[in-house]
Amino acid sequence: MKNFQQNLQKLEASDTQVLGVSMDSPFANKAFADQIGVTFPLLSDWGGDVTRKYGLYVDKYKAARRVNFLIGKDGKILEMQVDKEAIDPTKIVAACERHKLNR
Amino acid sequence: MAAVILGSGTPRGFAQAPANPPQLKVGEEAPDFKLQYFDGTDLKDIHLSQFRGKKNVIVAFYIFAFTGG
Repeated sequence: MKNFQQNLQKLEASDTQVLGVSMDSPFANKAFADQIGVTFPLLSDWGGDVTRKYGLYVDKYKAARRVNFLIGKDGKILEMQVDKEAIDPTKIVAACERHKLNR
Repeated sequence: MAAVILGSGTPRGFAQAPANPPQLKVGEEAPDFKLQYFDGTDLKDIHLSQFRGKKNVIVAFYIFAFTGG
């Protein structure tokens, strides 16, 4: 999440809203956001309904996989990064800028 | 005599993620959702659809709060 925070200005300049999602409670997520200095919303998927809807629930961990989606203004998925690939947001930041240029 | 250590490939175990790709694909519509966050005072609702036609959205699923990444 910190990585997105570090790139937040660039992302906002590319007309992009960042949302974190986990199965933690809203209050745990707020404490986490404060601790790491994240200013965008960390959403709580308490119970995991959305995580399951997105096909990202991992039984073994009782939690979500780490996946980043870039969703365009038309609601369609433009880019997706999965698991280890999703830790470094460089690619998705670059994609935002590219999609902005192509708009 | 020097010991010979043979490389045994990638260590298995902890970091092994499920190898299958998620069911959603690039080009498909992202399923709408309504989720809440706590802004320090109130619980606020966010719908994915509220950004339709206005902003791109990065939705970053992460495993647990208080972990890296």
